[in-house]
Amino acid sequence: MSVLNVTIAGAAGSGIAKAAIVLSKALIRKGYYVFNYRDYGSLIRGGHNFNSISISDKPVFSHSDSADFLIAMDKQSLENHSAETVFSHNNLPVAEIIKQLGAPAMVTNSVFLGALFSALKLPLDWLNSSMDSEFGKHADINKQAAARGYEAYSASKKEIFPSNSKAKHMFVSGSEAFGLGAIAAGIDLYIAYPMTPATPVLHFLAAKQKEHDFAAIQLENEIAVVNAALGASYAGANTMVGTSGGGFALMSETLSLQGISEIPLVVYLAQRTGPATGVPTYTAQADMKFAVNAGHGEFPRAVIAPGDPAEAFQRTVEAFYLSRKYGLLSILLSDKHLSESNFTLDKLPALSVKPDRFIAKPSVGYKSYEITKNGISPRAVPGQAIVRGTSYEHDELGHTIEDAPSTVKMVDKRKRKLETLKLEITKLNPIKLYGKSENTIVSWGSTKGAILDALPHMADWQFLQVCYLSPFPAEQVENILNTSSETILVENSSTGQLTDIIAEQTGVRITDKLLKYDARPFMPQDIMKGVKKVIV
Amino acid sequence: MVTGIGCHAKLYDYIGTSGIYGLHGRVLPVSMGVKLGNKELTVIGFGGDGDTFAEGSSHFLHASRYNVDMTMLVHNNQLFALTTGQATPTSPKGFKGKSTPDGFFERALNPLGTALINGASFVARSYALDPKLSELIQQAIKHRGFSLIEIIQPCITFDDTREFVSSHSYQTKHDTTDLQAALKLSQEWSYELDASTKIPMGLFYKQSRAVYTDNIPQLDGPLYKKKHTPNLIKIFDEFY
Ligand SMILES: Cc1ncc(C[n+]2csc(CCOP(=O)(O)OP(=O)(O)O)c2C)c(N)n1
Repeated sequence: MSVLNVTIAGAAGSGIAKAAIVLSKALIRKGYYVFNYRDYGSLIRGGHNFNSISISDKPVFSHSDSADFLIAMDKQSLENHSAETVFSHNNLPVAEIIKQLGAPAMVTNSVFLGALFSALKLPLDWLNSSMDSEFGKHADINKQAAARGYEAYSASKKEIFPSNSKAKHMFVSGSEAFGLGAIAAGIDLYIAYPMTPATPVLHFLAAKQKEHDFAAIQLENEIAVVNAALGASYAGANTMVGTSGGGFALMSETLSLQGISEIPLVVYLAQRTGPATGVPTYTAQADMKFAVNAGHGEFPRAVIAPGDPAEAFQRTVEAFYLSRKYGLLSILLSDKHLSESNFTLDKLPALSVKPDRFIAKPSVGYKSYEITKNGISPRAVPGQAIVRGTSYEHDELGHTIEDAPSTVKMVDKRKRKLETLKLEITKLNPIKLYGKSENTIVSWGSTKGAILDALPHMADWQFLQVCYLSPFPAEQVENILNTSSETILVENSSTGQLTDIIAEQTGVRITDKLLKYDARPFMPQDIMKGVKKVIV
Repeated sequence: MVTGIGCHAKLYDYIGTSGIYGLHGRVLPVSMGVKLGNKELTVIGFGGDGDTFAEGSSHFLHASRYNVDMTMLVHNNQLFALTTGQATPTSPKGFKGKSTPDGFFERALNPLGTALINGASFVARSYALDPKLSELIQQAIKHRGFSLIEIIQPCITFDDTREFVSSHSYQTKHDTTDLQAALKLSQEWSYELDASTKIPMGLFYKQSRAVYTDNIPQLDGPLYKKKHTPNLIKIFDEFY
């Protein structure tokens, strides 16, 4: 497997994110695999941002901090990064080219891309066709800029390895995959209040709403968002809300209302670095226990943590499915690293479940909270029957009760629902095991990419990915851990939250942890070196 | 029907219709959601003054702007009753509740004025013991847009103001399409209960304007009847 890293760095607003996408798309269309990591601060103009792009002839899921090529759009970028080959204003007449073309400064990035293509001995056509699709009506001037950059670069050139593949690949961010999953699940309504890194899903769905006949709306705050979502879902709509930790905290009282009212609800929670405002445009996996426990009182929920866009797509459909079938709160747990990085996929996977609405034609005497053996009360919608949702403990008809036996009856019904759910989840691949070795790396969510890229270099290690955090696949996890010689947890947090959940659910205590809490995601090198350091 | 939490919300169990007995303060967003989910439903929200003007104040501001086609009935007893008698944003000056034993001295909120300024398209005040109230409620339900009725409804346990309200209120007679006149009326009573108090009752303002769902064709019809059959192959195409 050959990998080449390109870093594109510059101030916010100088077009580096766009350049990274143009470059990536030019290459994936020719059979290469590309992973694009975005590192940006919480400001709109200025500061220092960069994209780290890994290009390979084999699937690649992570980035690296040692670049082969660096496009440094400003001075700061030269100070912060280094590479074998550097493109900057020092060795390319960028300003001159822009001036001669009479082009806006915005096309500077394209001049650099042209130079990069020249250095890699790649045909300019590839870049041109990517520019056509990415720049739309601004394609021409960018193509001219790229051609000038291509000509202007004359220093050392090194032909890139061949892609070895004729297959076309998809280039998808985590956010897009969650959005595509929602569309595949038949979403009617997406409601959100902007918050990084959940916002790209709002933008994606807002752009797609007309074409696919659903609505994406923004309300006054997250409390309104989640309450309106429950109202709409009660009326029968397939509804999802999206937020990050702070907004999720505001929603938590209503998550508890979901629990008792059993109105289906899907929550997309994209974690960022906390506490509070924290490091808002960076990543973390520190809200897992919060997602598993948020809301007062006890009630069942599904907390699902995809590790890449393919899983994000498939699991989003699952989240909708479970929420409707069980009258359940489904939380899709993502983070900045998964949601805002771009991945190359051969294709998106087939749906694991059928996205039914689970709305039954109610019989006469319909009871919203019918006591059933499996704990699931058939769902109807207002207009078809008297349908009652309530935040109070209630009888089968949804009337308020306060007496002891009736209270126990309804609590037991919800507990049985959880048992039924646990059974079904065992069939949904709640864990995944990569490789078969005596020692085990345990992790969840977005660390998957770096771990998978490190694994081939780690003899004797297998990787256990936990995809369902609630209900927890205790038996399956326990079975693997009991036969593992060394076990280490990898998590983007300072405490290693999954070890606590595993201990609580299985009794197995994992004491070796590789933790990263500098607001940055793991890279394969971190895993390889880190595991060696912890396990002596 | 959608209710909040408070004495007013007990109504949910007295009326056996479809609805959600929601959380304290959240009547308006839940009601809005129901209407977005199925705009053919008639949606009526019931809140208390604590519920709507304190806990749910942010939603109250925006509901008028959105102009969702729904009716909001606020049962204003000028106190938190279910929590045994504390002051709300519309308690009368000097009110001695359990949390304000020395009296309540804050300035009251002006909910009707707030609603008017922010675009509510039907704004009224009435009195629980006024036999004409039911007709006003019917009018509010029929109105297409956000209809707000503040219903003065004395709490006979913690602060029985029935006699006072009956003797100090009067029916307004003005042009109900005149926003300025309505705004003036909304400022006439600041929730104080002194000898000079005059409480205007009746329809303050009515206006016809586009409702929230008018601008979003994707919200047409009950959404659960939609059959989404997305062509995934085609959708994925743009990612290649
Ligand atoms: C988030 C939250 N905070 C506080 C309460 C406690 N609480 C229940 S009813 C109520 C006040 C109700 O007052 P109001 O809305 O005026 O209704 P009333 O009882 O007067 O009809 C409060 C504060 C609650 N249920 N939820």
